Amino acid sequence: MSTLNWGERELAYDVSGFVSGKGHFVDDIKLPGMLHMTVLRSPYARARIVSLKGGMSSKDLKARMASVGEGASSEAGLSIEPVFATEFVNYVGEPVAAVFAEDRYKSADLLESIEVDYEPMKPVVTIDDALSMGPIHLGRKNNIMAETIKGADFKDPDSPIVIEDTLENERISANPIEPRGIVASFSEGMLNVWISTQAVHSIKEGLVESLRNSELLIHVMQTDTGGGFGSKGGLYPEYVIAAFASMKFGKPVKWIETRREHLSSTHPGRGMRGKVKLFAEKDGKITGLRGEVMIDAGAYDSGIASFSPGFVAMQMTGPYFIESAQVRGKALFTNKVPQGPYRGAGRPEASFLIERMVDMLADELKMDPADLRLMNMSEKPFTSPMGLKIDGARPFFESAVKELGYMTEVKNSKGVGLSFFVLVPAVYPGESARIIIRDGRVRVWLGGNSHGQGHEVFVKKLVNEELGVPERLVTLYRGDTGMTKTGVGSWGSRSAIVGGAAIVAVCRKIKEDVVKIHGRYSTESLLSGSYDEFINNELKMPLNSFGANLATVEIGKMGNVRIKKCVAFYDVGRALNPDMVIGQIQGGMAQGIGQTLHEGLFYNDEGQLITSSISDAGVPLAEDLPNFTVKIAENRSSLPHGAKGLGESPTIGVPTALIRAIEKASGKRLRRTPVTPEELIS
Amino acid sequence: MHPSSFEYFAPTKMEEALDLLSKYKGDAKIMAGGQSLIPLLKLRIASFPYVIDISGLNGMRGISEEGEYLEIGALATISDIEENEMVRERYTILHEAAVQIADPLIRNRGTIGGNLSHGDPSNDMPSVAIALKAKMEVIGKEGVRLIEGDSFITDSFTNSMNEGEILRRVLVPAARGSTGGCYIKQKKSAGDFSVAAVAVQLSLNENESIRSAGIGLTSVAPKPLRAIRAERFLEGKKISDSVVKEAAKIVVSESDPSTDFYGTSEFKKKVLERITEEAINVSFERALVG
Amino acid sequence: MGTMKIKTTINGKKVEAEVEPRKLLVHFLREDLNLTGTHVGCDTSNCGACTVLVNGKAVKSCTMLAVQANGKEIVTIEGLSKNDELGPLQKAFLEKHGLQCGYCTSGMILTSFWLLKKNRNPSEEEIRKGLSGNLCRCTGYQSIVESVKYGAELMKEKEEEREVAVR
Repeated sequence: MSTLNWGERELAYDVSGFVSGKGHFVDDIKLPGMLHMTVLRSPYARARIVSLKGGMSSKDLKARMASVGEGASSEAGLSIEPVFATEFVNYVGEPVAAVFAEDRYKSADLLESIEVDYEPMKPVVTIDDALSMGPIHLGRKNNIMAETIKGADFKDPDSPIVIEDTLENERISANPIEPRGIVASFSEGMLNVWISTQAVHSIKEGLVESLRNSELLIHVMQTDTGGGFGSKGGLYPEYVIAAFASMKFGKPVKWIETRREHLSSTHPGRGMRGKVKLFAEKDGKITGLRGEVMIDAGAYDSGIASFSPGFVAMQMTGPYFIESAQVRGKALFTNKVPQGPYRGAGRPEASFLIERMVDMLADELKMDPADLRLMNMSEKPFTSPMGLKIDGARPFFESAVKELGYMTEVKNSKGVGLSFFVLVPAVYPGESARIIIRDGRVRVWLGGNSHGQGHEVFVKKLVNEELGVPERLVTLYRGDTGMTKTGVGSWGSRSAIVGGAAIVAVCRKIKEDVVKIHGRYSTESLLSGSYDEFINNELKMPLNSFGANLATVEIGKMGNVRIKKCVAFYDVGRALNPDMVIGQIQGGMAQGIGQTLHEGLFYNDEGQLITSSISDAGVPLAEDLPNFTVKIAENRSSLPHGAKGLGESPTIGVPTALIRAIEKASGKRLRRTPVTPEELIS
Repeated sequence: MHPSSFEYFAPTKMEEALDLLSKYKGDAKIMAGGQSLIPLLKLRIASFPYVIDISGLNGMRGISEEGEYLEIGALATISDIEENEMVRERYTILHEAAVQIADPLIRNRGTIGGNLSHGDPSNDMPSVAIALKAKMEVIGKEGVRLIEGDSFITDSFTNSMNEGEILRRVLVPAARGSTGGCYIKQKKSAGDFSVAAVAVQLSLNENESIRSAGIGLTSVAPKPLRAIRAERFLEGKKISDSVVKEAAKIVVSESDPSTDFYGTSEFKKKVLERITEEAINVSFERALVG
Repeated sequence: MGTMKIKTTINGKKVEAEVEPRKLLVHFLREDLNLTGTHVGCDTSNCGACTVLVNGKAVKSCTMLAVQANGKEIVTIEGLSKNDELGPLQKAFLEKHGLQCGYCTSGMILTSFWLLKKNRNPSEEEIRKGLSGNLCRCTGYQSIVESVKYGAELMKEKEEEREVAVR
């Protein structure tokens, strides 16, 4: 009874529907008997639950969260998030109980009937608190969630220039305009799940593991997904609760996040403090780097916090040829929502650390920052002490300096910033794809799910190229675990790379099938037959690419920054659709500006979230932003379709170029994002 | 996102509205455009058993100069004010404040009456009303009375209307002779509430000395402030750099900003000083031609 | 608490309904009338994903009660295309890539529609300021601004066509 009658058209990615209100988002789903779920959340950063009356709670569902998706961790142990808080709450916004009603208003009313007594405890709010205070979790020795060292130890170089500094990125909420949401419907032995997600397979695996029911039949289907930016890649407690409740009540259960819930309870990104020491010769040659990265990991190992320190550390030499480097990393427990991936997920943090330091070194040496950067690059491929593989970087960046118009800008104005970076996309472990040919049409599924990037555009193009089928006969459907046995997800600048490679591979498999039957391949024989192929296309090789940004600014009398120019020059490999590539980059540049000037999630000393709206969180408005200039270089990758990554390039490259421009314009040393007018006003 | 239940009335006549208000007293809340009230109801920060929607009351949306006053009906939307040519030309400060309130969609429903009476210290119209020396015409069962702009808001989210009274009109002294004003609102980012904002209205004597000055401040105290010492300091003086600087310093000394999400008290004072200087200068320029 | 009867016109059709006074217009449209093109993106009246036209003016339907629609004319995104033929702004947003995830799109288009009714030749600055009640997280707004400019041209062309037809 409780299934959804979406036909083929409704299940396909179709941008054209959005302009007339014909999207199919999760909150659009209506099922007979459907219950609306509302979650009661902890009002305290840290407290003991003395008593709890009413609603569904850990008394009904004593389960712990599975770690799935981007940066999943297998050793979370004592610090896994419970689905419902049990004895203690550890962050403002942690789920404590849930209520269900036929109507969303009545569900909200019911929330008021739950009674909870808390005994507040002193919270661990900052990285410093985490280092100096006792552990937030019983049974742990301290607040260290994860610890790592990248790179071999080295003797301090005997170099005359040594600079050292501490740099920070505030936490940021991903804030896709569509918040998270799920509809779970258990019927006839099958749990059907419709969800706004970047990865249907992560949701499926996560639900099976969290519900500790390996027998459970789960079918996870992606709805149109209104942005994700990392925040919709993994599992969250509300999903487990909705699934459990649907099974318990035998009715469909819908949960739609409110924006304030998104701010308090969806895993935010960044939240990094790093200490870096650079050794250099007087001519600018960098001889060594020592670093320490600390991640404000939040209360549980649910997002990517235990993965982050090592991932940041690994990238900390950036595109530069630095032969001696060692970085220590720590993820630290704090009484805040668990940290998670946000567009870049460690890449912008690493770049912020190295690029800020290189700029400071340029100031110390009174050298031009472009010259200093270029002289620390290699013509040849190079593997960093931390194991990062970098192609010969120098030729690209020499051309970048020209393409960005750097020399002219430096002559003309004071507030100019330049940044270089290497993008490390999440290629591993590849991606899955399935193609079914029937009735003269090509139906395609990918293991990773579009949430605005326009996967359907490259899929149609590649199917056309490989199989000669006109694009109008090719349809890409939304993520569906019923149609792909396995799959990974969309994050880490990977989709055009791994999804594209999977499409090419599955097309070639089908081509072989046609040849087997017909002796040779033709589009006509393909379309007149029936074929069904699935591939789990493994990819392991690194596929790094280079990018550079330039920004120019002026500082107003009140400390407000006016961005005059914001320019990107990225190697995107083969641009499968240049318009979409440029659109992706522009959107990412806006987020890079957001991080630098506007965005943050702020907590007070009691661990209360004081950022209380999407505007407070700093999501930029049209008025806040300039027109962007995007230039692309198309150096094909080694993959058959030539793609490279790009989605995260702008959130890596823009903050570092922009903060440098502001530093030059204001004459003030800048060490953290976001930069506020208060710091800049003279 | 889901208000608690309430009973709803949409009277079309003022008498009905006043009857309802006196019947339900403290349990009733007047709603005009609802752009501040509905967000509070949605988040259940506030709830009221009875909501009296006065947006359908007749004859309360006009904007016109009648004799010695510019009369603005309390239900005039912020967009109405923004788009009114006469206001734009002769009461620049009002136009300037209007276009800086929230966003265009909110302005299409939000009313001047709501903005004035809600009492949020970051609302813009109260300090403009102070600078313009406007009077609030409120009506209750006992009749109509006028409340001076600078005593209308008495504290955060508190106004000086009695229970049972409704703001009906705003009376702004008509612009005569050399007058000019300016509203400057400083924000961190475009979508933010203000760090500080200042409303200045000046009228000049024939010798270009200041005949009267009105200065209202937004977001720098728990309520909108009248910078009365700065007004008195300016009155009778001719504008010079040093006079403007001194006046701005006095304004800052009259303010009481708190350290919060939008910045420290020191930062807000610095901003207030700079925007005040600019607002006085611009107002003076405008008064010279106005 | 009880419900109240309202009579309203939605996308040109007369609608009579019983609604709870506390129900927000956006929920009435989405849940009672299945007009799911109007979205909810925040709870603080910031994002504008819920924008509709009320008596011709763009407003946030999450900040208006359904009972307040009584006697009013409402247009939602579904009302901008006639017999599945897209309006000029809808075409412009598609052609100029004024959307990525599609969630803010309805609101962006309705606000732009209202802006262009008021001002047929908006400058870039006027468009950016005009869209300050609508948030987009995907595009960086540049392609939206271009869509609005292009939509303005298409709307003008359409009006000219109509004038020619009348003559």
